[in-house]
Amino acid sequence: MVLNLKTSSVETREQRLGTIIGWDGTASKLADESAFSRGDCGGCGTKARRVCELEGPFTQGSVCSEQMVECQAGNIRDAVLIQHSPIGCGAGQVIYNSIYRNGLAMRGLPVQNIRFISTNLRERDMVYGGAEKLAEAIRLAVERHQPKAVFIATSCASGIIGDDIESVARTAEAEFGIPIIPLHCEGFKSKHWSTGFDATQHGILRQIVRRNPEKRQDDLINVINLWGTDVFSPMLGELGLRVNYVVDMATVEELAQMSEARATVSFCYTLGTYLATALEQEFGVEQIKAPQPYGFAGTDAWLRELARVTGREAQAEDYIAREHARVKPLLDELRPKLKGLKGYVATGSAYSHGLIGVLREIGVEVDGSLVFHHDPVYDSEDPRQDSLGHLIENYGDVRHFTVGNRQQYQFYNLLQRVKPDFIIIRHNGLAPLAARLGIPAIPLGDEHHALGYQGMVNLGESILAALQHRKFHKDIAKRVSLPYKQSWLAQKDPFALARAAS
Amino acid sequence: MAKQLKQIAIYGKGGIGKSTTTSNISAALAEAGYKVMQFGADPKADSTNTLRGGEYIPSVLDLLAERRRVDAYEAIFQGFGGIYCVEAGGPQPGVGCAGRGIITAVELLKQQRVFEELDLDIVIYDVLGDVVCGGFAVPVREGIAEHVFTVSSSDFMAIYAANNLFRGIERFSNSGGALLGGIIANSINTDFQREVIDDFAAHTDTPIVQYVPRSLTVTQAELSGRTTIEAAPQSAQADVYRQLARRIAEHTESKVPTPLNPPQLREWSARWADHLVAAERAEAERQVA
Repeated sequence: MVLNLKTSSVETREQRLGTIIGWDGTASKLADESAFSRGDCGGCGTKARRVCELEGPFTQGSVCSEQMVECQAGNIRDAVLIQHSPIGCGAGQVIYNSIYRNGLAMRGLPVQNIRFISTNLRERDMVYGGAEKLAEAIRLAVERHQPKAVFIATSCASGIIGDDIESVARTAEAEFGIPIIPLHCEGFKSKHWSTGFDATQHGILRQIVRRNPEKRQDDLINVINLWGTDVFSPMLGELGLRVNYVVDMATVEELAQMSEARATVSFCYTLGTYLATALEQEFGVEQIKAPQPYGFAGTDAWLRELARVTGREAQAEDYIAREHARVKPLLDELRPKLKGLKGYVATGSAYSHGLIGVLREIGVEVDGSLVFHHDPVYDSEDPRQDSLGHLIENYGDVRHFTVGNRQQYQFYNLLQRVKPDFIIIRHNGLAPLAARLGIPAIPLGDEHHALGYQGMVNLGESILAALQHRKFHKDIAKRVSLPYKQSWLAQKDPFALARAAS
Repeated sequence: MAKQLKQIAIYGKGGIGKSTTTSNISAALAEAGYKVMQFGADPKADSTNTLRGGEYIPSVLDLLAERRRVDAYEAIFQGFGGIYCVEAGGPQPGVGCAGRGIITAVELLKQQRVFEELDLDIVIYDVLGDVVCGGFAVPVREGIAEHVFTVSSSDFMAIYAANNLFRGIERFSNSGGALLGGIIANSINTDFQREVIDDFAAHTDTPIVQYVPRSLTVTQAELSGRTTIEAAPQSAQADVYRQLARRIAEHTESKVPTPLNPPQLREWSARWADHLVAAERAEAERQVA
């Protein structure tokens, strides 16, 4: 699909990709209904990418697009993020600051606090407009931090009143001589928060990435990621390639040079598809179209495609052979210890596809997963990036594959259905509920933990470590109760309310 | 290679005849061979009525209310002379936010590259009454329309609305927003009405693009669900609209208006009120004598 970088706001995932946030069935059925595989589900319309969606009557709260802007644009080291919003929208920055600091430390970068300013929109500003406050906030941001760029996150509040953020930004850009970048991420615009990733990347593509690069850096690879440890540099170093980590923790210059790189990869297509596709479309920086680098099958294919694009096939084959030889004995040791265990993955969508493959690779049973949304197609529209299809073809079906936007009340029924020994989770909000049911959680704060060959070993060891405190969780379960009615606790169908409402 | 698209917006007080004027401009442009889109930016969703034989079309917001994923082309209907008709639509009276509705509808069409794909020559936004909030200012800011025209009669409230529009344009002019093309002076049938509107134009340093007389032909055409261009192509009024359309099509240079501030506007209108009273008195005295 052709991405439209001319407009200031990004098209939502619902519009662009047909993204859904409610679905329940087998993984193979979802793959069938998605555009990558074989078309629509019948009766849903003529668009191949339209997938039937279960819509519940209420939600217990999740996250929004603006928060994804906070955790991306807010984590650029020499920029400032202004949240043009009521102060409450910035509450998430408390946790993001700790993640950011941890991420910097893990990468060996100087640890610093995030730099964000809220315009603190109030009722008065909703009536009279908040543009002047925004202009003042930009001036303060420049004075206090001397940033290389200023990002402006919109909010539901500024979006509803139609504040003219573009012209404020343009005026300030002319005055201060640095990119001032509006990111349109009004929470009400998209039911899926991943649209916030796209909003950040859209703004970076429009205003930071170098338009007419004078040089090409043929050994430079853009790696779209969040805060994970640096596992890419050693891996790509084996192929004689250098890593340009974006977006989190990058500098403005590192973002600008994305157009000079040889290719773009990511650890998760949910996160990376927009930026990578646009870099290819606008600057000819190739997007690696291969399965994600998880498990043997994914990592092999991913490395081979990267090697093909960069002309390093021999080095890659050598590296693959060495890694297989190194990792296989380690896995042979782990597998007997993990035998008979059942895991449950609750993460973002493409990331979950990768993790399930890793679990199956190390002999852990998986018959359930909750992904927070599902994109029936990614921006590249290339079937080589069909992460769900790759999972099914290489590691088999998943019986209870659920798409849901992190609803606690549903999570109870989901876990009851499969009764796992542990859950893997990246967004920790659901972990306490699992703990109350006696199920330990592996919180993958470092999203690179399970990546590549070593990732299989890492994840196996993490599972064993988590199971060490199974007794602790059993004790918790004995002593706490859940705040739901008996009728709901007895409910077998997590989507019973949605089905009743439709 | 796509041709240079010309986007204009037409504002003015409610009930002043914007949709009538706009539809006749669109019809005249289509007649002259241009590829035209008329975008009705009013919750009433009736801007394009006379281009469609009196028929209402589903609005962009109607479609968005029904489902989450909308193909912009579902909201585009062809009318007289192949004109592409779109209605933004909006909420019920007293409900929701109409300004937000306009923002949403304009954004949808822009994102889906409708203007480029249809290879249009001219898009005309028929915007409701006044620039009362951020949403209604959308067509004049962010470079969506390059030129703005206002429809105004010589009535004070129409001039008040026009002056408000000028203030909006002045505000956005520094940041790449649209500039003012001029006033379409509507329902101008007497010398006195002409003097009033000319004086306002002079005070705000604004050209009058065209004087459009009030005409029964227009009413008759509207009642039959058509534009004057379609219903009475040989009429004098149709020629007035053709001339207006030609001027708009050829228009290139817009500028920043110099609106009156509220006290100035009050003073200006008071002076005309005095003038009017004096004129009436003189007329009454003349009749007595």
